Amino acid sequence: MLSYILRRIVATLPVMAIVALFVFSLLYIAPGDPAVVIAGDQASPEDVERIRQSLGLDRPFLIQFGSWVWRILHGDLGTSIFTNLPVSVMIGQRLGPTLSLMMVTLLLTIVVAVPLGVVAAWKAGSLIDRAIMAFAVFGFSLPVFVVGYVLAYIFALELEWLPVQGYTPLTQGFWPWLENLILPAIALGCVYIALVARITRATMLEVLQQDYIRTARAKGLGQGGILFIHALKNAAVPIVTVIGIGIALLIGGAVVTESVFAIPGLGRLTIDAILRRDYPVIQGIVLLFSFVYVLVNLMIDVTYTLVDPRIRY
Amino acid sequence: MDRRTVLKGLAGAGGLALTGGLSAPAIAQGAAARTLRFVPQANLANFDPIWGTQYVVRNAAAMVWDTLYGIDSSLRPQRQMVESEEVTDDGTTWTFKLRSGLKFHDGEPVLSKDVVASLTRWSARDPMGLMIKALQQELTAVDDRTFKWVLKQPFPKLLYALAKNNSPCAFIMPERIAQTDPFKQIGDYVGSGPMKFAKGEWVPGAKAVFEKFADYSPRQEKSSWLAGGKQMLIDRIEWIVMPDPATAAAALQNGEVDWWENPIADLVPVMKKNKNINVDIGDPLGNVGSFRMNFLYPPFNDVRARRAVLMALSQEDYMRAIVGDDTALWKPLPGYFTPDTPLYSEAGGEILKGKRDFDAAKKLLAESGYAGQPVTCLVAQDQPITKAQGDVTADLLKKLGMNVDFVATDWGTVGSRRAAKTPPGQGGWNMFHTWHAGADCINPAPYTAIRANGDKAWFGWPNSPGTEKEVTAWFEAKNLDEEKAAAGRLNKAALEDVVYAPTGFFLSYTAWRKNVSGVGKGPLPFFWGVSKSA
Repeated sequence: MLSYILRRIVATLPVMAIVALFVFSLLYIAPGDPAVVIAGDQASPEDVERIRQSLGLDRPFLIQFGSWVWRILHGDLGTSIFTNLPVSVMIGQRLGPTLSLMMVTLLLTIVVAVPLGVVAAWKAGSLIDRAIMAFAVFGFSLPVFVVGYVLAYIFALELEWLPVQGYTPLTQGFWPWLENLILPAIALGCVYIALVARITRATMLEVLQQDYIRTARAKGLGQGGILFIHALKNAAVPIVTVIGIGIALLIGGAVVTESVFAIPGLGRLTIDAILRRDYPVIQGIVLLFSFVYVLVNLMIDVTYTLVDPRIRY
Repeated sequence: MDRRTVLKGLAGAGGLALTGGLSAPAIAQGAAARTLRFVPQANLANFDPIWGTQYVVRNAAAMVWDTLYGIDSSLRPQRQMVESEEVTDDGTTWTFKLRSGLKFHDGEPVLSKDVVASLTRWSARDPMGLMIKALQQELTAVDDRTFKWVLKQPFPKLLYALAKNNSPCAFIMPERIAQTDPFKQIGDYVGSGPMKFAKGEWVPGAKAVFEKFADYSPRQEKSSWLAGGKQMLIDRIEWIVMPDPATAAAALQNGEVDWWENPIADLVPVMKKNKNINVDIGDPLGNVGSFRMNFLYPPFNDVRARRAVLMALSQEDYMRAIVGDDTALWKPLPGYFTPDTPLYSEAGGEILKGKRDFDAAKKLLAESGYAGQPVTCLVAQDQPITKAQGDVTADLLKKLGMNVDFVATDWGTVGSRRAAKTPPGQGGWNMFHTWHAGADCINPAPYTAIRANGDKAWFGWPNSPGTEKEVTAWFEAKNLDEEKAAAGRLNKAALEDVVYAPTGFFLSYTAWRKNVSGVGKGPLPFFWGVSKSA
């Protein structure tokens, strides 16, 4: 298993290199020039050129890319064109809020969606099942920002139970940390709760038709034992897959959620960097996201072996 | 017990298990009152006011760095760091003396050598600074508190240049920082202003923090914009960047922030209804809407085509598109200078007044030789003001029978594409939309957009010798009457040649919680004199 994990991690390197080259090329050919943005409205073309030179943006594509790769290999993600701060510092500042948001959302998704899916499968065809699936369709159809605004209006403005924006690090207390994440996590989690609930229901329905479930029932095993010990464990592989894919998708969803709730996370940093053409920051974030994506896939594969002993690498 | 307390208790119980203890610090009322939470107009993406000229950088910098002179609300330069100045009769040698007791945030005294280095860096980037630099014979420190500026010929607007509030302002930095190449960004933010920048707490795109500088010695006069005694009544100012206006509005209503610099017009009615919030015009100098036509290529290389557009455009359409139906927020602008300022003029403005004459405009357009070629119109969709103006212009041009190539893109792309001098079909353009701060349109000194010196002019490269002649006349004017006369002639000449199309003058609101007092009107948010009760 260890050699498998190591092989997978090594295999991520060329993937990340290709992604990096792709992103670098895309930015290179995209319209927009950070030097113009920096120089401001009153700058002359000569001023813009001097800024371009000082940032190394006048150099040929291959030299710029080569220099970036060289720095990466030396553990240096570069310096932001606009803030003059190391990209690693900027990403470090933003990692906590995004990880917190993703963690709480994921937890919420698992805690809410899996039981909902199990109950819907157990009561298939009933009013409860229909209600849960209607909720799932509803959650799946609503954009994150709409849910976000509605939640903020009800729980922050009208009821004044929770704050509308911001992020407090966990080091400043559990409740201050959590209260800022509840509404964004619900807004972001709606789609994933719906998705995981539907997959759980479908998979559970299939498993509940199996002979060994009938045998378990015939043996007189209780409903809870059948559902959560026998059925859910055997339905776990597709559910884990969907949850894993969901983690990657959460990164995209976080962009909107972080804007709506003014959370200083990586999503907002990405948008800001793209709008300003802050190339080193965009490259650093893309590299990180690629790594996370590959890592999540690896974790899903490893989890398969835990939930299904038949799977071996 | 309210719901929030219950939730807090429940979460606290769970948190105890995870973190080993509930540590939600209660913020003392006094501490809360000494911290002002402010939502700025944009993200503070960099913090070098000479290198980056965005308004938001200037606004933050005005707290951290002081200037030798400061412009006051009557638009006059007043002494700020300077104690006295002398100028020789021929107007070429200026000798300045600094106030005693000025200190930088690192405890070092402010010396003449710091001023010399700062002015040298500033004058390499600022248009007025460049003009002075071209006339400069020497700029030297005479002693620790005295410095001398010797020019080859007089520059009557020197004090205005040192006091002006448009970017880049002539901020004074320690010599070691000011010696940085003006085209490279500084990384050390030490100033001598009333607030210190807390670099360690800076999260670009999210938060910037400023702390009161205990050793700041304010002037004794009453503060007025950038002039006078900058008395800080708040210990800590937190700038909280909120990209989503709806979130900013909700946070202000909820009391999570204290002051929102630029609420969008759509959300103002909601805030006006809130009994805890004050809403008022923030900057009385407002903004001038504009679109620029490219003088280099047809059809707008012909003045008749440019005038045809001016004859047909309705400023009311533009203004309503930008600010909605609140008529208190806009004025027609048959000229180029900011309304209610000394140089405001309507000379030559008839073309923008009265009923719009499409028939005459179409006739004039035909005379210009326009034969249906595409007009490349750049519109930044991510900027509500430019987007609104772009939509109105597209409609206007179509009504004039023009073939509009509407390029909807983002501001970053417009910003770089507008610099292209290539033909519209090869990456260039025919027109783009923007707006100018009214503070920059009060006279020709900060007014880049009015310059019409061809290749050296701002994007669109207008060439209008008549306009340029009057710009020079204004710079050489010896008193306000001469300045007004020159500005009137300038306005007329610029409208005749259509240096750019003014789409109207508009104001915007600022909003703050009622427990905050001392919020004044001005071209930028001034924090001195602002206080907050618990």
